[in-house]
Amino acid sequence: MQRYVIDNNKNTNVEDFQMRDMLLSKLKKRFTTYGYKQVRTSTFESYDMYSNIIGTVNKDEMIKVIDTSGKVLVLRPDVTIPLNRMTTLNGLTPDNQRLFYILDVFRQSHAEADEKESTQAGIECFGDNSAEVDSEVIMMAIHTFQDLGFSNFKLEIGHAGFFKELIQQANLNEHELESLQALIQSKNLVDIEPFLSQLNIDEDVRVAIQSIPMLYGNPENVIDQAKSIIRNDSMKEILQNLIDVYEILQAYGAENSVVFNLGLINNMNYYSGIIFQGFVDNIGKPVLMGGRYDNLGKQFNQPSPAVGFAFEVDLLIHAIQQQELAQPQSPVVDVIIHYNESKQQEALRSAYVLRDNGLQVLTYLNNKSATQIRSSYIAEFNESQNKLISRKIEKNFSNPEELLALLQKEEN
Amino acid sequence: MEQITIALAKGRPAKSTIDLLEKTGEHFVDLHEDSRKLVFYNTDQSIKVIFVKALDVPTYVEKGAADIGIVGKDNIMESQADVYELLDLKIGKCKFSVAGRPEHPTKGNQKLTIATKYPNVAKKHFQKKGQTIETVKLNGSVELAPIIGLSDYIVDIVETGSTLKENGLVVLEDIENISTRLIVNKASFATKANEVQTFINQLKSAME
Repeated sequence: MQRYVIDNNKNTNVEDFQMRDMLLSKLKKRFTTYGYKQVRTSTFESYDMYSNIIGTVNKDEMIKVIDTSGKVLVLRPDVTIPLNRMTTLNGLTPDNQRLFYILDVFRQSHAEADEKESTQAGIECFGDNSAEVDSEVIMMAIHTFQDLGFSNFKLEIGHAGFFKELIQQANLNEHELESLQALIQSKNLVDIEPFLSQLNIDEDVRVAIQSIPMLYGNPENVIDQAKSIIRNDSMKEILQNLIDVYEILQAYGAENSVVFNLGLINNMNYYSGIIFQGFVDNIGKPVLMGGRYDNLGKQFNQPSPAVGFAFEVDLLIHAIQQQELAQPQSPVVDVIIHYNESKQQEALRSAYVLRDNGLQVLTYLNNKSATQIRSSYIAEFNESQNKLISRKIEKNFSNPEELLALLQKEEN
Repeated sequence: MEQITIALAKGRPAKSTIDLLEKTGEHFVDLHEDSRKLVFYNTDQSIKVIFVKALDVPTYVEKGAADIGIVGKDNIMESQADVYELLDLKIGKCKFSVAGRPEHPTKGNQKLTIATKYPNVAKKHFQKKGQTIETVKLNGSVELAPIIGLSDYIVDIVETGSTLKENGLVVLEDIENISTRLIVNKASFATKANEVQTFINQLKSAME
């Protein structure tokens, strides 16, 4: 038989799943405390929907499927767009303003051919465009990082509009814009100066663009520096938006977890307002990405302000394993029951009663037990007596109810 | 202070990089270009230096295995790594060029075959010019390819041009200037901002 060792599913063993489950329940709990409700979207989405929306997922990265009628479908390449469509089409109700999801997304790239699926845990907040909502969403991300036990994490906050506004005054062609974007994304101070000087743009626009990569770090410093390159009212508004968000984050007491990065350009072109990404130690890529996208709804003919973010769950798990934030759990059950054939009925009935009361129970006939499984208690049923044993006690009992009472007494 | 990891490229440019590191005032035990060791520490263990293959430096930095990398621009361009490129160390200067036999006929709009160690760089350059090409990836002695008819031209780094000359090739076009650069992992830049900035400033003053 041929052996299939191409196991691309990450974390397929039991321990990994337990850890993942624990992580997801922490995320769920935190999202819920901010008033978010869980939803899911269909695994199959229409290819046309994605290809008609400008500035979303790269068409080549989507995994396509053809159904029996010849219609082209894609495996859900992102969750934001279907959720946005759902809300804009159904109209905003008190029920669907704050949604969260934990879903797999599917994309393929040449660079990482083995990694076609990944899990995203994210939230979307519809209906409001205000600095209060923006900062609450950012705060929720910070709060979640704290829940997961990361001591050293940073959220970079930028604004999608700042660069766009500035670039409009430079009048660049597609090639030039692409090169400039790459230079700014890599903070390439070495090459940006010669690149800009060979373009035909105003001196002060050039200086402003050149300073963007270094608009990074402590928010107060960045705000001061950015003030000097403001060129029109809409840039002024954008900066004011960032200042407002920062002030509210200060009110939350979260100012030490954020830095500003006005050179942040997200490849998802639909962002219109603040954008942010989260980093933890030893993971080179952002483990969290998000931002405000008020214009996406327009593409469904219904403008609808929205802000959201998503955690990359697989990267989070990787980080948690690397930093050893999760304690490995050895397999432990509450009670192991050993019994003789003569006591079978009594022993199995006891097991039923204990399980009914929420205890984890394993039963073994004639001491045939898997040795590596540990338990807090051992209950023995043999001809002469029934005995409950733990490290602290050793007591006899006569029926299941008595056993349960003994256990409950010990646990309290 | 958290420890930072710096990935250096093994091979030719290592010596001048090590000289520069010593000038920052940090002393690294046993660090010299002929050492067989791959990991070095400075005296208070706040900086760890690792030696890796030049083309792997951007990968180490992109994945966060190293916070900082010191490597030639040629390898950064070829790897297309998503990192910050913050400083030009002004050493290891050379350039990317297209070279070929002087008497080789130009084929008009036909498809060209390019032999190179840097297929990504070659593809990007010719794509910009609207020329379709086929690349042949070689790992050394690239100059041989046009001579024996494996390719029309080559794309390679050119320092003095003497290797090209000795093999009867000429530079047809320059693509980009190359020098040794300092690259930084995007997460480290955020989470280890102080340590990274301190090191960059040390390096900057050592260059003056």
